[in-house]
Amino acid sequence: MKYSRRFLALAAVTTLWALAPHSDALHAAPARTRVVASLPNLGSIAAAIGGDRIDLTTIAVGTQDAHFVDPKPSFMVKLRSADLLLINGLDLEVGWIPPITQGARNAKILQGAAGYIDCSTGVQVMEIPSSLSRAEGDVHPYGNPHYLTDPLNAEVVAGTIAEALKRADPASADAFEEGRKAFVKRLHESLFGKELVDLVGAVKLAREARAGTLDAFLDGTSIGGATLRTRLGGWLGKMQAVRGKPVVTYHKDYTYFAARFGMNVVDYVEPKPGIQPSAKHLEDLVGRLKQGEAHVIITRPFVEHRSTDYLAQKTGVTAIILPTEVGGAPQATDFFTLFDFVTGQTVQAFTGPAPGAGG
Amino acid sequence: MNRCRHPFRVSALTALVLGLVSAGELRAQSAAPPAPSPDPPGEMNALRKEIQDLKDQVRALQEKVAALATAAPPTVATPPPEPAPPSVPLPAAAASAPARSQNLLNPAISAVFQAIGSSSLKRKDDLNGFDLSEAEVALQSVVDPYAKVDMFFSFPSDASPDVEEGYVTTLALPGSMQLKGGRFKEAFGKWNTLHTHAFPTVDRPDALVNFFGEESLTNDGMSLSVLIPNPKNLYIDSITEVGTAREGTAFNSQARSLTWVEHLSAFFTPSPSGNLELGLTAAFGRTGPSGALTQAIDACGSCGPLTPRSSLASRVQGLDVTYKWRPPRMNVYRSLLWQTEVLRSHRDLEVLTPALTLDSSSVSSLGGYTYLEWQWTKRWRAGARYDLSGFPDSRRARLWAASAVLKFQASEFQEIRFQIKHTQRNDEAASRFNGEADDNRVFFEWIPVIGAHGAHKF
Repeated sequence: MKYSRRFLALAAVTTLWALAPHSDALHAAPARTRVVASLPNLGSIAAAIGGDRIDLTTIAVGTQDAHFVDPKPSFMVKLRSADLLLINGLDLEVGWIPPITQGARNAKILQGAAGYIDCSTGVQVMEIPSSLSRAEGDVHPYGNPHYLTDPLNAEVVAGTIAEALKRADPASADAFEEGRKAFVKRLHESLFGKELVDLVGAVKLAREARAGTLDAFLDGTSIGGATLRTRLGGWLGKMQAVRGKPVVTYHKDYTYFAARFGMNVVDYVEPKPGIQPSAKHLEDLVGRLKQGEAHVIITRPFVEHRSTDYLAQKTGVTAIILPTEVGGAPQATDFFTLFDFVTGQTVQAFTGPAPGAGG
Repeated sequence: MNRCRHPFRVSALTALVLGLVSAGELRAQSAAPPAPSPDPPGEMNALRKEIQDLKDQVRALQEKVAALATAAPPTVATPPPEPAPPSVPLPAAAASAPARSQNLLNPAISAVFQAIGSSSLKRKDDLNGFDLSEAEVALQSVVDPYAKVDMFFSFPSDASPDVEEGYVTTLALPGSMQLKGGRFKEAFGKWNTLHTHAFPTVDRPDALVNFFGEESLTNDGMSLSVLIPNPKNLYIDSITEVGTAREGTAFNSQARSLTWVEHLSAFFTPSPSGNLELGLTAAFGRTGPSGALTQAIDACGSCGPLTPRSSLASRVQGLDVTYKWRPPRMNVYRSLLWQTEVLRSHRDLEVLTPALTLDSSSVSSLGGYTYLEWQWTKRWRAGARYDLSGFPDSRRARLWAASAVLKFQASEFQEIRFQIKHTQRNDEAASRFNGEADDNRVFFEWIPVIGAHGAHKF
């Protein structure tokens, strides 16, 4: 009986400690909206919009595979007091967001609650499978979730995040709207170039780009005898050098990137999404690359590089490591420098000396 | 879900806004200073055509909105609030809205089984051969915004189908609390909470088998988990559980009695790659007469009527340490796991004396294991385990065992394992195993997972 009493006393003390009023003092609520972003890109966009009016925490790091983040208990602590949880959605985080949200004991950020923000809302999703089978590898049933490799989709995401912030902190709504506008303005100027944006208007350009008619518009519209394409700057202007060029990517996470910048993905190093390349598949790729089907391979920071190194060595193609998330390379410190770096590396791979895949 | 509930209306609104914005742009451009001047005829014609197109679109959309307003309310189902099963539902393009809605409301369904081949290298015994040792079907879903349910049905090859676990867990209690009710594996250390297919090795550590039986320590009861606030904002979890033990050696009273478990765990991240978890567990309850006593009474021809006590005090304490090293950049390719648990049992015991009477006493025993695993590529891992264990109803019985395991993961949904294990028992322990003082056993296990199986705890 003595043991039973000690046992029950221990359980009671721990429970009472958790429920005691001073527990709030340990996590005193800051005046700022507490935002947790699942991925660094979402965190970077939220930081640009919210500034010092939000208290931001990001779970994954940029060098990490967003499919396979470990659902650590320490993440549950971060989520316990969050007002908003920003997720990429489309099942990208299906292996780790459900366990940490359900373990966080915070009803505000559970799926279906107001604080659970699926940032894929409103995005034009590509590659929605018409049938589902794991025989096709690790397919995403709702479509390709790597939509933020198209920087234009950040405009939609910024709108979603800004609206969520306004709902969470109506008193700062004007500031969040200003933050969103500033982010989108900079995004458009970075993507199209300031000159073209000033000339044509960002809304028009973004609409043409989303409709897939930007090329026709730029080539079909002249100013002073020169088409608008001559005024195209920014990332799209820089990437004109690679338009139409064939490329092999490791995984399907550059699909949106290739579509936006007009590259042609001819094959993948993975035979199927998430499936490690076999020797047979690599040999098949070697044969095709030797025939000149592509001259550049784009791989990811967090996968093995033996396969791409092998392909580069056997065929002489250039293999580059492109981050998909902020922090995926030292130069990629925010969403804008990420695409500065990614577009620069891509152009250099096609036109300059080979950087090599490396370690 | 922050999803639009009426896509058509938003599309119409978007088109209207775009039309107005476009018109605004054009007005602004026409009012702007002349330089630089676009090619007038070509540009103007293109813009005129675009305006006409937009006007046509707006007109068509207005007609549709008017038609909708007079029609019956739309029957498009709103997105369900439950977590979407990872891969079961049909994609949007492949299902009608009502059918899609019904699919999304279904629980996540998965099935796992273990095909095990086992053979002793020293002798022929009943365990040699292949066996579909267990199949498991899981249904998991949220109930409503306040709770979720996890159901695991077990289909063992040598027993009737059973509910291995089935519990409801709250999601929205105040005070960082989480309440669980139903049948569940007790929060005793780390390994006890795992399902068989999630074991790091093919077999269960000997200490857990000796102390809790062939199955995990499982209760029908309640569990309260409380995250304990602390200045360092560490994850410190206190779990208090009470219930009726289903099986096992340490807690299997013939009289229906309660078993209590208190588990305190703390999780640290000393580096971005390193993860350390420490746990302390105390459990107490009642147990029945030992198997040795029952056998002795049954075998005793000259004993008078002996009635052993059906309810004896029993308690078990545990210490668990887990270190996981997984570099974020290569966590799919490189990892190290070290897990150790030590258990101490202290229970009342009745024995048959030479005078053929029952004598009561207490007995303490120790057991534990340590397991080390290294992953060097995406698909391959190797591990080693050392077991040392007494038996809760014996002062002298001991065994130790050493195992090596090699694991191949074809994908995250399929794993093949090979294990070899050497076991050494002292005389008293050997008497419980047909006098076999040692054994060398090899295992082969194939574990496929189909469906939407929920993520395991880290």
